[in-house]
Amino acid sequence: MRALGKGSIASAVKAVLDVARWGLWLAALLLTLAALAYIGLLALTAAGSVNPALLQDLQAHIHLRPNVEYRGPPEVSWPVILWAFAVGGVAIGGGIVIVGRLRRLFEGFSSGEPFRKEYAGHLRVIWIAMLTIELSRIALSALLAVMLRLLDHSNGTVSFGISLDLTTWLSIFVLIVLAEVFREGARMKEEQELTV
Amino acid sequence: MAIRVTLDRILIERRMSLTDLSERVGVTLANLSILKTGKAKAIRFSTLNALCRVLECQPGEILSFEPGEGEIELAEAETEAAE
Repeated sequence: MRALGKGSIASAVKAVLDVARWGLWLAALLLTLAALAYIGLLALTAAGSVNPALLQDLQAHIHLRPNVEYRGPPEVSWPVILWAFAVGGVAIGGGIVIVGRLRRLFEGFSSGEPFRKEYAGHLRVIWIAMLTIELSRIALSALLAVMLRLLDHSNGTVSFGISLDLTTWLSIFVLIVLAEVFREGARMKEEQELTV
Repeated sequence: MAIRVTLDRILIERRMSLTDLSERVGVTLANLSILKTGKAKAIRFSTLNALCRVLECQPGEILSFEPGEGEIELAEAETEAAE
């Protein structure tokens, strides 16, 4: 398989990135609609327009696994669902940023000039986006634990644990190094271009 | 960059245009313009050799060091560090 051009690795990866971009935007739209619908349902239930049993029945069919273990009344399960929407939103938003920057990187590689300053910038944005997703996940789980503790007056047990995915953190470190390598490569290329 | 390239003065003295110089030295006009306007980051010895041969001059006649405020502060800091 060739490195560049039609039928190459780069063109295959670009096609995958194009599909991923459309998939992420679709997921963002669906998540937004689902979140609005759920918040609407919560508001109507609170106003008494909708039978609370309907909401509880809906929530009973949703299985989510945050980093928080809770044993208490089921009425406080709405923070878990809102947590899921928030984590999903951050992941999809971060994914859109990452895929967008990866597409721009591949466009640059295909043009034959990989070592340019803006490409190092793209890699930097990608690792920052990945770091933000991971830290947001941990922060939102901690916030969920606090909310469950505050909302539950029956003294149900809440335990919060941080699980660190080493693969993700290693990927972030690899990207940090790659971003610096590309930055140095861009600097050397610029120096070479301005060498008479 | 504190290194200044003074091609203008010596071209006037030799009554030579930049185009003539580029043809005789074998460096493109674009690259010579980069050198003349001070945008160059580096110069090859082979280019400097060709320039000095064609212009019949020493490297010091076309290159000079004119430190700005930042360069002076850096030199003073290095002197203090050495002491």
